[in-house]
Amino acid sequence: MSVSTSDNARQTLRAFLAKYSILLAFGAIVVFFATASPTFLTPTNLFNVLVNNVVMLAIVALGLTIVISSGGIDLSVGVSIDMASMIFVMLLAAGYSGFVGVGGGLAAALVVGALNAILITRLKISPFLATLGVLFIGQSTQQLATSGGQPIYLTSGYAGDQFNAIARTALLGIPTPVIVLILCAIAVYLLLHRSVFGRYVQAMGAQPGVAWHSGIRVPRELSLVYVGCALLAGITGILLSATVKSYVPLSGNAFLLDAIGATFIGTTLSRERKPTVAGTLLGVLLLAVVKNGLLLIGWNFYWQQVGIGLLVFLVLAASFGLRRASH
Amino acid sequence: MSATTLHTEIGASDEKQAAAKNASRRLGTIVVRLGAIAAFAAIMLYFVVFAPGFTSTFNLINVVEQSAILGVLAYGMTMVIIGGGSDVTEGGIDLSIAANMGLCAAVYATLLSMGYGDFLAVLAALAVGMAIGALNALAVVGLGILPLLATLAVLNVAAGMELTLTQNTVVGATSPLLAFLVSGSFLGISALAWALVLVSAIMIAIVHYTSFGLRLFAVGGHPEAARAAGINVPFYISFTYVLSGFCAAVASILTVSRLSASTPGSGELLLSVLAAALLGTVFSRRFVPTIGGTLLSVLFIGLLANGFQLLNVSSYWVNGVQGALILLVVAVTSFARGSEASR
Repeated sequence: MSVSTSDNARQTLRAFLAKYSILLAFGAIVVFFATASPTFLTPTNLFNVLVNNVVMLAIVALGLTIVISSGGIDLSVGVSIDMASMIFVMLLAAGYSGFVGVGGGLAAALVVGALNAILITRLKISPFLATLGVLFIGQSTQQLATSGGQPIYLTSGYAGDQFNAIARTALLGIPTPVIVLILCAIAVYLLLHRSVFGRYVQAMGAQPGVAWHSGIRVPRELSLVYVGCALLAGITGILLSATVKSYVPLSGNAFLLDAIGATFIGTTLSRERKPTVAGTLLGVLLLAVVKNGLLLIGWNFYWQQVGIGLLVFLVLAASFGLRRASH
Repeated sequence: MSATTLHTEIGASDEKQAAAKNASRRLGTIVVRLGAIAAFAAIMLYFVVFAPGFTSTFNLINVVEQSAILGVLAYGMTMVIIGGGSDVTEGGIDLSIAANMGLCAAVYATLLSMGYGDFLAVLAALAVGMAIGALNALAVVGLGILPLLATLAVLNVAAGMELTLTQNTVVGATSPLLAFLVSGSFLGISALAWALVLVSAIMIAIVHYTSFGLRLFAVGGHPEAARAAGINVPFYISFTYVLSGFCAAVASILTVSRLSASTPGSGELLLSVLAAALLGTVFSRRFVPTIGGTLLSVLFIGLLANGFQLLNVSSYWVNGVQGALILLVVAVTSFARGSEASR
C-alpha cells in the first residue's frame, strides 16, 4: 500500500518535471546568470537582450511555429527575410517613401511564400525539399542582384533614417520592435490556438489523411500557412534592415537553425509535443538569455556556441528522458 | 490516396475502367521517369557539345576529385536516412555532419601542425568524428530526442569546438598522407578520386549486398515490424549515426588534403549534402535512398558546377540551377510516386 502511494507520488513528480522541465531550466538559468553577473538583471541589459536577441528571432520562430504545426518545415525563411530586406532597402535607396518600401518588402516575402505554397500544394513536393530548392534559388537570386553579395547601405538623408529612428525609439516605454513582436505573437496566437484555421492546421499536422477526408481544403489552408510564415519572416527582414541601416545579402539564413531549435524546444512544453506560441517564445527567450549570459560572464563567442549547444542538448535530454521514464 | 479508397469509391462495376486507368497511369510513370532521366541526359549532352574540354579525361577526373568530399559526407547522411526512415521531421537526419567534418579537419590539421605523425592525427580525427556520431546516437536512441533536434544541438557543439580550437583561422597542414592523396596516382587516376571509388564500392557492398544492409532498410521502413522480426533496432540506428561521424572524419582528411589546410566555414556544405542524399532517391526504382543513387546525384551536382565553369557562366547561377533542378526532379518523381502508389 505504502509502496504504491510512494510510486504514485514519484510518478506524479516525474510527470511534473517532464512537463515543466523547460520552465524549470529557464528559471535556473536566469538565477544562475543573475548571481554570476551583476549586470545581467539591469534594465539596460534586459532591454538589449529583448531588442537585439529576442525580437527578430521570435518573429521568424512564430512563422515556423505555424508551419511545424501543420506538419511541414520551411528552410527558406532566410530567403524571405533577405528578399524583404533587399527590396525594402533598394526602394528606400531609390528615393521611394517608407510606405512603399515596407509594402514592396512584404510583397517580396509574399512572393517567396507563394512559391513555396505552389510547390508544396500543386506540385506535391515535400516541404523539406521544396523549401530547400527555394533556398538555393533565393541565394542565387541575391548573388546575381548584388554582383556576388555586395551589401547595400542606407546613407543618411533617405527615409532610412526615420526607420532607423523608429527601430531605436520606444512607445510608452516599450521599444517599437518589441511592440511589433507583441502584435505578431497575439496574431499568431489567435490564428493558431483560437480560430478554425488553427484547428485545421493542427489537424493537418496530426493526421494529414484524416484532415483531407474530413473535408478540410488542405491545399488552401497549407498555402496560407506558408504565405503566413513568409510574411512574418518579411517583417523580420524589414526590422533587420531598419536596425542595421543596410541590406547584407544572405544574412537571413543565420536565423534558420535557431528558429527551428526554439520552436522544437517549445514543443516540450505541450503534452502532445505540439508547437505552441507560448512554447516558442519561451524557447527564443531561453536561447537569447543563454547567449547574453555567457557573454556577460566573459565567455568568448566561440565558447558561447559550445555552451549553447550543450545547454540545449541537456534541456532536451532532460525533457525527453523524463517523459520517456514517466510513460 | 491509396488503392483501397479508390476502389471503394469507384465500385466493383467500374473495375474494368479502373484497370484501364491504372494501365495509363503505369505508362505515365514510365514516361515521367524517362523524362527525369532525359532531363539529366539533355543537360549533360549540352555540356558535351558546348563546353570546351568537358569530356576530356583530365576534366572528368577533376570532377570526381571535387565530388569526393561531398560524396563521402552524403553516404553518411544516406545511411542515417535509410536507418531512420525518410520522414523529414521525425525520421533520420544528421544536421551535424558538415560541422563534424569541420571539427575533425581542425583536429587533424592542428595535430599535424603540432608535429604529431599521420598515424596519430588520423586516429584522433576518426575518434573525434565517431565520438560526435556516438553523441548523436546517444541523444536519438538513448534519450529519444527527435533526430532533427538532437543533431541540431550537436551541430552547435561541434561548430563551437572547431572555432575554439582554430580561433576561426586557417590551419595549414602537410604530411606524407596528404601529399600522397593530392599527387599520388594509380592507372592515371589520382588518389583522391580513388578514395571516392573505394568508399563507394565499400558502401554499396555493405548496404546493398549484405544481410546487414537489408536489415537496415527494414529498420528504416517499419521499425515495429523490424523489432517484431527480432532485429536489434536501437543498435542499427545507433550504428548509422556513428558511421555518419566516421564518414565526416574521412571527408575531413580529404578536405584537408585538397586545401592543404583546415578552413572555417565547412558548415555551409550541409545543404549540399542534404540535397545530394535526398535527390539520390530519384535514381532508385522504389524512390528509397540508395548509395548508388546518392553517388549519381553527387556526380551530377559536380558535373553541373563544372559545366557551368567551363561555359564561363557566373558561379552565382550554380546554386539557383541546382535548386531548380531539385524542384523539377522531385516534382516529376512525386507525380510518378503518386501514380505508383495508387496502382
